[in-house]
Amino acid sequence: MSSLTGARRSLGGPIVRVAVALSLAFATLAIAVGYWGVVRAPELTRSPYDAAVIAASRSVPRGRILDRTGKVLARNKKDANGELYRVYAGPAISPVVGYASPRYGRAGLERAYDAELSGLAGDPLRDPFRKFGSDPYDPKDLTLSLSFDLQRAAARALGDQRGAVVMLDPRTGEILALVSNPSFDANAVTDPTTAQKAFKALLADPSEPLLPRATLGRYVPGSVFKIVTAIAGLGSGAVTPKTTYPEQPGAEKDGLVVDGYTIHDGHHPETGSRALGLVGATEVSCNIWYSLTGLATGGDALTEYARRMGFDAPLPFDLPTAVSQVTGGGGAAPGGFQDDVELANAAYGQGETFVTPLQMALVAATIADHGTLMKPHLVTAMTGDNGTRTLGPERMANVISAADAQAITVAMQQAVEGKLGGQFTTGAKVPGVPTAGKSGTAELGGTGEPHSWFIGFAPADAPTIAIAVLVEKGGRGAEAAAPIAGDLMTRYLKMDLP
Amino acid sequence: MDGLLLVLWVARLLFLLLLYVFLYRVVRTLLRDLRAAAREPTATLGRLVVVASPGSEPPAGHVFALQAITTLGRDVNNSIVVDDPFASTEHAVLTSRDGTWYIEDLGSTNGSHVNGQAVNGVATIGFGDELQIGQVRFRLERPRV
Amino acid sequence: MTVGTTPVRSVGSAQRGRAGSFGPIRPHWRWVEMRLLLIAALALVVGSISLSGALTGGLTLYDAQTLLTYLAALAAGHVALVLAGRRADQILLPVMGLLGGISLLLMQRLPQDLVTQHWFDMSVGLAQVQLVWLVLGITITSILGIVVRSDSWLRRYKYTWAAAGVGLLLLTFVLGAEVNGQRLTLQVGPFSGQPSEFLKVILVVFLAGYLSENRSLLMEQDTRLGPLRLPPFPYLAPMVVMWAIALGIVVIQRDLGAALLFFGVFLAMVYVATGRVSLVVIGLVLFVLGSLLMANLFDHVRQRIDVWLDPFADPLGAGYQVVQGLHAFARGGLFGTGLGAGLPTIGGRIPIPEVHTDFPLAALGEELGIIGILAILGLYLVLVERGLRIGAAAADDFRALLAVGLALVVGIQAFIIAAGNLKVLPLTGVTLPFISYGGSSILANSIVVGLLLALSDKGVEPPPRPSSGGRWQRLRQRDSI
Repeated sequence: MSSLTGARRSLGGPIVRVAVALSLAFATLAIAVGYWGVVRAPELTRSPYDAAVIAASRSVPRGRILDRTGKVLARNKKDANGELYRVYAGPAISPVVGYASPRYGRAGLERAYDAELSGLAGDPLRDPFRKFGSDPYDPKDLTLSLSFDLQRAAARALGDQRGAVVMLDPRTGEILALVSNPSFDANAVTDPTTAQKAFKALLADPSEPLLPRATLGRYVPGSVFKIVTAIAGLGSGAVTPKTTYPEQPGAEKDGLVVDGYTIHDGHHPETGSRALGLVGATEVSCNIWYSLTGLATGGDALTEYARRMGFDAPLPFDLPTAVSQVTGGGGAAPGGFQDDVELANAAYGQGETFVTPLQMALVAATIADHGTLMKPHLVTAMTGDNGTRTLGPERMANVISAADAQAITVAMQQAVEGKLGGQFTTGAKVPGVPTAGKSGTAELGGTGEPHSWFIGFAPADAPTIAIAVLVEKGGRGAEAAAPIAGDLMTRYLKMDLP
Repeated sequence: MDGLLLVLWVARLLFLLLLYVFLYRVVRTLLRDLRAAAREPTATLGRLVVVASPGSEPPAGHVFALQAITTLGRDVNNSIVVDDPFASTEHAVLTSRDGTWYIEDLGSTNGSHVNGQAVNGVATIGFGDELQIGQVRFRLERPRV
Repeated sequence: MTVGTTPVRSVGSAQRGRAGSFGPIRPHWRWVEMRLLLIAALALVVGSISLSGALTGGLTLYDAQTLLTYLAALAAGHVALVLAGRRADQILLPVMGLLGGISLLLMQRLPQDLVTQHWFDMSVGLAQVQLVWLVLGITITSILGIVVRSDSWLRRYKYTWAAAGVGLLLLTFVLGAEVNGQRLTLQVGPFSGQPSEFLKVILVVFLAGYLSENRSLLMEQDTRLGPLRLPPFPYLAPMVVMWAIALGIVVIQRDLGAALLFFGVFLAMVYVATGRVSLVVIGLVLFVLGSLLMANLFDHVRQRIDVWLDPFADPLGAGYQVVQGLHAFARGGLFGTGLGAGLPTIGGRIPIPEVHTDFPLAALGEELGIIGILAILGLYLVLVERGLRIGAAAADDFRALLAVGLALVVGIQAFIIAAGNLKVLPLTGVTLPFISYGGSSILANSIVVGLLLALSDKGVEPPPRPSSGGRWQRLRQRDSI
């Protein structure tokens, strides 16, 4: 054999191996195509960056959004080029409804329910021939539990003040009003002629109008948090409505010392040497009583009952929510508190406690619904080509017994209607209707005004509305938040909504 | 779905189908080709070893696998190209019939020789015999089993 | 007696496939090729009808003139090969034809104003320009397949070819115009082209010659470097030079794809020539080291890698192109949206940038679906396989290495850009052979197929005998005959 043939023969092996290697490489590509075309396809085809979605949003009429009476909150309009854009009923609904803009994306419900509103019905995999059909899009109309009139009234009530109002029906969890101030005009963002300027201005505005404070704002609660402490105290059995503390009257003058830290009661008139129980302590918003109750309840139980109402996790809700917390956590004491001092402070709402207005509304709703918390929701129905799908009320948790809730109701009613209590909650009472509630003055430290809070419900015997009002740096609870709450609850009860 | 849509639907699927028909036929040809190549070595009826070759084509020592009909000559279209100035363009044909090998001279200028003897028209050639075309000498050998 | 007289074609012969003879013309039927071309033509006609249905609503051929011109060119190429009596491979031309036809359908479907050229006072759009290049390509392939009867011009002058290649490269380094952050294009008067496309062919020619000549040396002799057994250092030199050139291309031209392609083909050819895995391993190590070095030193490299790892991190900025490509595959799903029915436009523009050069696979993925893409990948694999087969059956080492190298240059390039589209590799600027828009790309790849046709022809002049004499003599010789 010549070396020529011998050498040539040994080329065959490596060639085959190269062929195999290249085939494997191409097989990898085949797998990749399958991955993008099948596995990731449903997610990608609904993403707002997808060209088909963007194109559809300009030509396929997006679903409308209606309030509970059928009033149109969001609808479509054609611009000069024949492309569609969104039009909204007013700036009051912007924190809830948001906006849908081809350039600036989506916010609020427009974002959360984007797939339904733009009509991306169907799963590309399960229905591979759908795209061969002539009408692949089925936009849905959304019906909300919101009342446009109530929403507007709440926005007007806040006026120029920064803050939030949350109103819901405690029996079903339906949200009737969700207002944040400052708000913005979504129409300016979606109208093609004003969009760019308006959005730039909104981003540059230092008061952050795009931030929905009702759901994403976290604030020091102040005395409204005492209701949570009461819930935990009664629910865990650490205290009863009749529990009194012998050291409490003395501490009114000298302060309560906890581990070297002195807790003062600054805001209530002398109750003398009377030892207070639940009702009395709630009526005058007694920090001492609540600190002692908090210590008696213990960190574990306090956080546990708080969690039942939605603390320490995003709330299950149609819109994104911030997490409310009882403590910053990381402490060695039970429940994650650093020590008893932090627990005592948290018990009257001044520790490392941060809450969203929506969360506090849920606390009120818990008491109003006899200890059961219903899941908050905005969307009650979706209507498409194939009919309407309704979304009914859902129970979120059993927090405490009806008896305990009743005891707290009595205390909260006293806080609004009692002679002493009424001084803290001026204006909160609905004329002619038993009203329950709690005001709060959240000290922020430093020299600024405190936040003004109020949570409550009416009628106290058979509540149909629960409310939470926050006015940022509004002063004492009675000054700002309480009158707004009273006004709105009065208006709601007069409206007699369906 | 109206008629046009249906036809369009059919056309789209048909296009994809035809791509695969094409691929299928190609792959079938490939496999047939590979199988034939793999089978070749055992189908030889004989081997022609180049004993002596003053030029470069065919190289000395090279072994050709023989099929039933093998042409020899200077033209590039021959099965065995003998690039020798004393070989004609179409010099001779080696044929195997019923197990016997025949060499036929195609009217070449310098003739074909088996074991030194000139070939007149057709002659038999056996295993181990030497064939001379021009200045190139071959030896016919059995196929390797 | 004169030595080396040119052989005269004789008349008549009893060989299967001959269709008789007409004077100097001896046709040889190519049935397999004809049948495949017919299926391809049918597929393209159906595709054109489907396209027209989606775009115009009527069931006719979309732009019949363009399609029929193309099919006529393919037929002419086939007939030319038949008349010339070539016994070359019968699968290469149909596969190339089908890929080109798919490209034509795609270019017809895309907005024509993506490319505007002015020829003879006429303004021609995308599809027309592509048609011209494709027809030119078929012509070149056929001509090479018919005319190339000997490989001595490639074999003999390999160092000349190498010098020409390096010269072209340097020219592009210095004079290249920067397009999209890459210095790929060379502009001479009104013509602009991408020399890297032709460079890859020159590289393969040179390597085939060099490696076939020094094969036994590379295989047998060793230098020990610790536990490694390496070929003698003088023979490692080209390897290091190659590595340096690849790095240079990345740095100066910013053409990651070409660097990847050159280095990949080089490693594969070295492996085929020597069968030594150790060389491949060393090559890969050098490559990884080089990539890390590049990534750390150069922002544009790092950016490419960042976008590759998570394009969704910046879907409107750096990652936009890749993200839009992936969305196209997602919209396509299993069967695609149908030719002409996908690629939604936003404001009249297709959302995928450079879809006709960098992302034709994504566009086809959207319109033909997974099923279609698998078929196209299959076509490339078949093309490469034929080339490797031609290499395995070649008469000597040079031809074998040349065929293997040519086949891989197309296959690896297709892999690199397809992987870039699918986020399997970072996106690079190489073209998808025969499908991407681009004259240089089509011409260079047509040359590749033409050479493969020539190499597969059993009637081509046989290879010269390797030079006799010792290793020392081989070391001293520069160009062998």
